[in-house]
Amino acid sequence: MRLWLVIALLSPAAVAQQSASVARGDKLFAQGCSVGYCHGASGSAARSPRLRGRTFDRDYLVKVIRNGIPNTAMPAWGDRLTDTDVNDLTDYIQSLANAPIAVSGGPSTETAAPPAAEKAIDIPDEHRNGRDLFFDLTRESRCSVCHRLNGVGTAAGPDITKGSSISATDGPQVLRYGRPRTVRTIVLKGNERFPGTAVQRTAAATSVYDLSTTPPVLRRLLNTDIQSIQRQSNWRHRDAVRGYTLEDLQSIWNYVRFVAARK
Amino acid sequence: MTRFVALFAAALSLPAQDGATRENWPHYGGQTNAWRYSALDQVNAANVKSLTPVWSFQTGDNEGGLQATPIVVDGVMYISTSHNRVFAIDAATGRELWSYHFELPKGFTIFYGPWNRGVAVADGRVFMGTLDNHVVALDAKNGRELWKVNVEDANQCGCNITGAPLVVKGKVILGVTGGDSAHRGYINAFDVKTGRRLWRFWTIPGPGEKGHETWTGDSWKSGGGSAWMTGSYDAELNLTYWSVGNPAADFWGGNRKGDNLYTDSVVALDLDTGKLKWHYQQIPHDVWDWDTAYENVLLDLPVNGRPRKLLLNVNKGGYTFVVDRATGEFVAAWPLVNNVNWITGIGPKGELLGRNEPVVGKSKIICPSIGGGRSWNQGAWSPKTGLFYSTGIEWCEDVVAVPETPKEGQVYFGGTFKLTHKPLKGEAGGHLGGYDPLTGKRAWLYEYKYPLLASILATAGDVIFTGDADGFFFALDAKSGKKLWNFQTGAGHRGSSVTYSVNGRQYIATPTGWGSALGGLLPQIWPETERLRSGSTVFVFALPEPPK
Repeated sequence: MRLWLVIALLSPAAVAQQSASVARGDKLFAQGCSVGYCHGASGSAARSPRLRGRTFDRDYLVKVIRNGIPNTAMPAWGDRLTDTDVNDLTDYIQSLANAPIAVSGGPSTETAAPPAAEKAIDIPDEHRNGRDLFFDLTRESRCSVCHRLNGVGTAAGPDITKGSSISATDGPQVLRYGRPRTVRTIVLKGNERFPGTAVQRTAAATSVYDLSTTPPVLRRLLNTDIQSIQRQSNWRHRDAVRGYTLEDLQSIWNYVRFVAARK
Repeated sequence: MTRFVALFAAALSLPAQDGATRENWPHYGGQTNAWRYSALDQVNAANVKSLTPVWSFQTGDNEGGLQATPIVVDGVMYISTSHNRVFAIDAATGRELWSYHFELPKGFTIFYGPWNRGVAVADGRVFMGTLDNHVVALDAKNGRELWKVNVEDANQCGCNITGAPLVVKGKVILGVTGGDSAHRGYINAFDVKTGRRLWRFWTIPGPGEKGHETWTGDSWKSGGGSAWMTGSYDAELNLTYWSVGNPAADFWGGNRKGDNLYTDSVVALDLDTGKLKWHYQQIPHDVWDWDTAYENVLLDLPVNGRPRKLLLNVNKGGYTFVVDRATGEFVAAWPLVNNVNWITGIGPKGELLGRNEPVVGKSKIICPSIGGGRSWNQGAWSPKTGLFYSTGIEWCEDVVAVPETPKEGQVYFGGTFKLTHKPLKGEAGGHLGGYDPLTGKRAWLYEYKYPLLASILATAGDVIFTGDADGFFFALDAKSGKKLWNFQTGAGHRGSSVTYSVNGRQYIATPTGWGSALGGLLPQIWPETERLRSGSTVFVFALPEPPK
């Protein structure tokens, strides 16, 4: 009833605009929000809360869609949706306020492409290959298994962008033959020894990344269990990058330099 | 004479598999054979009505309920909760011994939900998979973190670990979620002492590997295949058995033509190497999000007079499959629920008959619903009654397939669904039955208005235990299904009860607290279930002690 009153007070043009944005929001919702086990068909609830038949503050909806809710399954859509998308989604969710809790009719039959989901910074085509190689999950020993870049990867090794002053020409050679200064030999009592990078040392314990295998293991060792930490190590970066060709390493290095320049 | 005796003994030796638990509940499924059956019989069908609560433990983290299976070793209970908390509790008194909280990175977005289904304990260590896809090892004495390893960056893979690890012979073995994302699944084994990876089995074969030809183009890179529940282990064969879930996208298979190995398959892996010994694919080219994901129950039974080492697995599509666990040969399949219309049946060799697939752009009724003919909550096998106990769900859905372009780590679902209010046969609801594991012949059926989403516990006292959505924890007669006892715990059940003993006294423990993805789906059919209360408490029961 109230909804009809509001619509009656709007100009015909505004109504048309409003319903167009609700329709667009409906489509976006079906593609991005009701999928999987999330908010269910038309906001009817699944693993995430029901949105039908509930009243939400508009600013709150916009904020949650953009920023997500940390430590919950609600992701931040801010870098995947345009302002218009967020606006249309908000219109749609608010249009469900007086909807019956149960959904009538079939599920949405929209077949258009889902909203763009590329989260990373815009990557020019020439750097896509380097990026994909850096993060390639099909490789046991990919760069990101030891280096964190753009918030993805394990920081067992140093911040690789700090070496970006190394030229594009020298980069691949350094990746192959360079001798990282951060890798030590950790010797435990009982004579277990392994290559590792020390992360943190307290009075009682030392955290080290064990580089014997991939992925590296963050081990928290009691200082009383450590025999010694030696500066030299047999570990070689060329073993870690063995799966990459020189051409691959060139693409990777160009990408790293590109990321470093954007910082 | 000696030779005759030896032969005779060999013929009889097969059923001697000792798969029952006793004082301890050492593994997720009881023992590594996933029976969820205890030889303890102090509590039995005659005296179960006298069960009394002896302690409860509130974890304080209610989101998603309490889904874990408690592990009990030498009088200490270990449980994990949502958001990767771990508690060690005195199993006789409920006193907290230590707690641990895995810190997630700030602002981390959780995929699939915050829950955790349990820890594994061995060699004085406690192991858990985490919401940001780490494996962590703790000192069982004090909860001190010993090592952790990031399997893949969760922000990239759109995956995490919610299932309990399996730990045997110095190896901690886990799968990963991500079956509804553009992700390629795997099963990993790590060294219990160092956390170093010992082997990895890709659930989707890469270029050059056998089975890769069952995927078209690059679809193998984003084909899902997550082993999201806990595997089993046969010490004699030295094989570990894992169930591999659905291919992605779930409802649309247009860009992954072929059988899509090893999705919807049971895989038998050599424990030492992770190499594939055999596989049995239940559903080639799944387009219903069925998953072969649940427990692999290892049973030894005669088939046509010949003793066989078998493996029983309930598929989400509502069928139970039985195969030979030494070879992977098909033995039997039978329906667990009445509402199955995605096939018309299963042929004598295990072949699916009359496939009824979702259609692009057009709504179609499919039964059971995406929630499954059963959920992941485990069944139980009692060698004493010869019955396999399992819950089942009667429900259907309207589904539409939607073509989609995979984006690494993003949801890759390929369709939309809505639960319909009325199944094709009878009313929507849940049940729990006792079944002949080979034929599916039902000895009895206990019915309930909603799905039953807690695991089953069977005991040598001929009692089985489970809990319902309304908060009742209850005991049924294992032979007749007659209700013998119940207790209102104050919140619905989504975890797995266990039994153990300390100083000769038998305890029955159950996690309580409603929640989970499936719990969230229920209001589409039963709106009132939205009000079912969450919680996160372990309740422990025992027979009253005689007055001193």
